[in-house]
Amino acid sequence: MECRVLSIQSHVVRGYVGNKSASFPLQVLGFEVDSINSVQFSNHTGYSHWKGQVLTADELHVLYEGIKLNKVHQYDYVLTGYTRDTSFLEMVVDIIQELKRANPNLVYVCDPVLGDHGSMYVPQNLYPVYKNKVVPVADIITPNQFEAELLTGKNITTEKDAVEVMDLLHAMGPDTVVITSSDLPSRLGDRFLVSLGSQRKVRPDGSRTTQRVRMEVHKVDAVFVGTGDLFAAMLLAWTHHYPDDLKMACEKTFSVMHHVIQRTISYAHELAGPGRRPSPPQLELRMVQSKADIEDPAIVLEATVIS
Amino acid sequence: MECRVLSIQSHVVRGYVGNKSATFPLQVLGFEVDSINSVQFSNHTGYAHWKGQVLTAEELNVLYEGIKLNQVNRYDYILTGYSRDSSFLETVVDIIQELKKANPSLVYVCDPVMGDHGAMYVPEYLLPVYRDKVVPLSSSTQLIIKTVVLTSTDLPSKRGDQFLVALGSQNIVKADGTKTSQKICMDMPKVDAVFVGTGDLFAAMLLAWTHHHPKDLKAACEKTASVMHHVIRRTMTYANEMAGPGKRPSPAQLELRMVQSKADIENPAVVLEARVL
Repeated sequence: MECRVLSIQSHVVRGYVGNKSASFPLQVLGFEVDSINSVQFSNHTGYSHWKGQVLTADELHVLYEGIKLNKVHQYDYVLTGYTRDTSFLEMVVDIIQELKRANPNLVYVCDPVLGDHGSMYVPQNLYPVYKNKVVPVADIITPNQFEAELLTGKNITTEKDAVEVMDLLHAMGPDTVVITSSDLPSRLGDRFLVSLGSQRKVRPDGSRTTQRVRMEVHKVDAVFVGTGDLFAAMLLAWTHHYPDDLKMACEKTFSVMHHVIQRTISYAHELAGPGRRPSPPQLELRMVQSKADIEDPAIVLEATVIS
Repeated sequence: MECRVLSIQSHVVRGYVGNKSATFPLQVLGFEVDSINSVQFSNHTGYAHWKGQVLTAEELNVLYEGIKLNQVNRYDYILTGYSRDSSFLETVVDIIQELKKANPSLVYVCDPVMGDHGAMYVPEYLLPVYRDKVVPLSSSTQLIIKTVVLTSTDLPSKRGDQFLVALGSQNIVKADGTKTSQKICMDMPKVDAVFVGTGDLFAAMLLAWTHHHPKDLKAACEKTASVMHHVIRRTMTYANEMAGPGKRPSPAQLELRMVQSKADIENPAVVLEARVL
């Protein structure tokens, strides 16, 4: 497999978020990963302390120029995640547009990180950039419910709402949408959350078809950081292997997440001791220990195809 | 295995040198790798063009402070390689000294990159920093450097001029307290190409295999040199394929086939034998 990904995300010295979360799993699956580190921090910002440096939009451009001057700016995928800076995000869009001209088959996988649980946790001025510039050039997006609602201006209270929101997101650009989590009631009870996916395809005869899936995902009583980054990377990988089968791609992706999270929570509890809540360092994803699950995830949940 | 490495090396967007060369193989072997990127460049400096930014000694210190404030400054290994800045290198030394106080068993694996083929290719003023400050740090409590590997020499090989000679020496303290050393010699097949990042991969793999064979330099070197062999062969084959018949591969085409070599990294078939001297 000769597949090259450009991933533009954060780097942390310690732990697994951003590029640290995305690169190893993709490499283990045989993808060539070129990575531009948008920041270099000691660790993620959920720890008591964090320190480091950020890359400016100009510095990003300089790095891209280096790649371009050497005529090696051919990518099959671009992957982006958490960003806090509008000019940086706009530079990312410019770069992607140029890369798409160099390779019209390029697939841009975008996690449109804006917020969660009802509020934004990035600066407000990122919202119009995502809505008007980023999402229109994206091919695969992984919003949570809040982000999906924010981008479309429509609330989700039923599965039907979710399907409409995903169709609205398709109309904005991306052919593949996965709402990574929602507070829709799960068929399996309140220990589960509902995720949904939708993939729009054009048949050989020119007609359009949409495959929609629904996943009941086991909830875990802990705050993880970097799981969204791992999810987007693994969705990239599994949609690459199953480009016409969103059901299978989601089952693999959600299963990897399950194995990594289970291993992480077990270890975290072991370290914290009985009755104590694990700390952020203890909750870092058990990434290298999960190599086998990443390579070949045992399927642990079944996606339901919905109309 | 619960083993944490702090690797302070370059980052390149594309290709395999510095941290890009060291991290994936160590992770694949189950090591936790914390990485401080001393620079971020588009690619290594052997390409026609390269662009990017460097980390200052002050910025390095800030990153380390973050780790320290969270009280997670405990490492089993430190790994360093190519550096061009003496104040950066001196800050690295300070950090390592502090980490050794936090964990006296810490092992510092150092590739003292200064030059090759008779000439220095880093600034001259790095020599005294390496000689007087850096190298003495990769030592045990008796201030004796435990393991030395001369990765390549132009000593004549017994197997002819298609081979180069590498040597290794390890100080061992026996159970009865007496000191001894194991010295080995390897004949390694030469390859007709210029690779970049192979030294970084070598140091990382020597870290891994001396970890698994702490008292057997012969085994550690055989594994390390074998990994190098597999990765280089795969790279050479691919590069020649990309370049086409009769053409010399370009730097871009000669990038190490790292992700494709995962199986060889995990479990290298031993393809050369080290002789105990």
